[in-house]
Amino acid sequence: MIMVVVISALVLLALVGVIAVYNGLVRRRNAVDNAWAQVDVQLKRRHDLVPNLVETVRGYAGHERQTLAAVTAARTQAVGASTPAEQANAEHMLTGALRGLLAVVESYPDLKASRNFAELQEELATTENRIAYSRQYYNDAVLTYNNAIQTVPANLVAGLGGFASRDYFQAPGEERGPARVRF
Amino acid sequence: MLLWPAAAAALALWALLLLALALATRTPDADPVPPTSVFAAEPPAVVDLITGGWRLCEEAAAATLLDLAARGAVQIEEIGPELSLVRLRQADGLNPYERLVHDHVRSLSRDGVVATGALAEGARDLKSWWKRFRKQVIADARQRGLSQPRWSRAQLALLTAAAAVPAVVIAVAVTLADPEHEGGLGAGLLTFLGLMVLTRRLNRERGTELGAQAAAHWLGVRAHLAAGRFAEQPAASVTIWGRPLAYAAALGLAPHAVRSLPVSVPADDRRAWSDYGGRWHAVEVRYPARLIWGREPLHVVGRSLVAGFFLGFWTWIGLLILSAFDLWPRGLVQPGAFAVGFVVAAVPTARALLGGHGWAEGQIVRLRRQRSGGNENQPKYVHWCAIDEGTGRELRAYGMAGEQWALLSEGDVVRVRVARGVGWIDTTEVLSRAVRGDR
Repeated sequence: MIMVVVISALVLLALVGVIAVYNGLVRRRNAVDNAWAQVDVQLKRRHDLVPNLVETVRGYAGHERQTLAAVTAARTQAVGASTPAEQANAEHMLTGALRGLLAVVESYPDLKASRNFAELQEELATTENRIAYSRQYYNDAVLTYNNAIQTVPANLVAGLGGFASRDYFQAPGEERGPARVRF
Repeated sequence: MLLWPAAAAALALWALLLLALALATRTPDADPVPPTSVFAAEPPAVVDLITGGWRLCEEAAAATLLDLAARGAVQIEEIGPELSLVRLRQADGLNPYERLVHDHVRSLSRDGVVATGALAEGARDLKSWWKRFRKQVIADARQRGLSQPRWSRAQLALLTAAAAVPAVVIAVAVTLADPEHEGGLGAGLLTFLGLMVLTRRLNRERGTELGAQAAAHWLGVRAHLAAGRFAEQPAASVTIWGRPLAYAAALGLAPHAVRSLPVSVPADDRRAWSDYGGRWHAVEVRYPARLIWGREPLHVVGRSLVAGFFLGFWTWIGLLILSAFDLWPRGLVQPGAFAVGFVVAAVPTARALLGGHGWAEGQIVRLRRQRSGGNENQPKYVHWCAIDEGTGRELRAYGMAGEQWALLSEGDVVRVRVARGVGWIDTTEVLSRAVRGDR
């Protein structure tokens, strides 16, 4: 009888432990999803700004077709990306294309002096900064979550509960830690 | 000797005068008006003062920052549940205490941005900062005719003159009672100073008739806002709620938003915000137990040898007793004691001597010292230095010598040589001093 009670108590204790670990993992996974939603909002904001920027530049420097087309193509690819890894690659390319566009602008004083362009550039810089912070926040959440599902004993529960590791939001060659982004 | 009763009577009369003046200078009662949504012209910090019994609460600074956000001088945006940013915007026409808050945010900003959690960071002297803020809010309230000091000049002069009477009587009484020691002058001066300190301490702010009316109005606004759901609103929701959230914070109805804007509270020892690497991020700081960590290597060796000797000795005694009762083999008494002593001495010694040295480069996020012994005249301290190297979100603070520690500031970027096994900094090179302001 005593043995039955002891075994039942141990089983109950193990069950409570499993539930606690499972709930913790769910909370961390939700934190990752929430962080990704923040990244997504900021990326959409950037994607929405790009056509306006392209149109404004086209008004002053219409013959820079190649640069403008590169930006448009990179934006299309970024909008179509689905996973964080794909998204990071596409955004990396878009950033490069935008840098090219802004380098071209240096040759057009009228465009640089345009108030509309200045506002768009300011808005783009602010959005870049938000993306940088959202990305850092997301990557920190992924690190916490991935650590949680890979360490003992939570990895046992993670395996049973289907908790898969998440991708960091970083393009190949980029560092995950704090990196200064200026635009 | 009639002088002592006379001194007591003079003191009692002075106390009565003080009481009478205190009653005469009470703040008029402020009965709340019925709930109203009409916002008067006073800024949130002044509202905090006049609705808090003419004492400024800590939330006034956070409410001021929320008000700046509502007016567009800064922008507060949420990145995640534990990360919100304050972004500097064009700020014109700020009053002095709003400028003080804005300047504090600016002093911390990097690329015009600072994390809300990092608002407690910085090299300012929080006490003097708060004094300045409080003084400027009170000056604004006085200018608006809402507040005044308790004592007028005439009342202050009357209390000062009246305090001289018991002081003189006590001085004479002491002189006559003990002519040899000439303590009368000192006793009189001490009495006078004591009464003056009491007078000054009671000289706090009090409301004027207009101030009481304003307070009554704002208490009506408070009743109106209490029906709203401000308690759980984050600071970033000021984008939606605007100035009502700032007033709700000043009226004590938005604790969540106030907590997330630690403008006027000291920085947390164990959770620091660092902008090393370009973006603000939070790091957890641990101060490990000092059995081995945070001590000078040679000190660790000395302590571990002494500890090994004593533990070996007591183990030998213990094993001798056990062997007397046949609970431990006699032949293993000395080897057992030696083994215990050796392990206790060897493990820390190996860590101290064989742990090696390494260089760490990063930003100092916490400099703390803890009392570790000594006496009142010669206290001993442990000096801790936590460095964010930009590689993780958890840091272990290192120990270091007090002389080196005193030359550093939080925010300095340093390169240090660390004894890895024991976490002791022996060489420090400051690469750049803490830069305050927009970078």
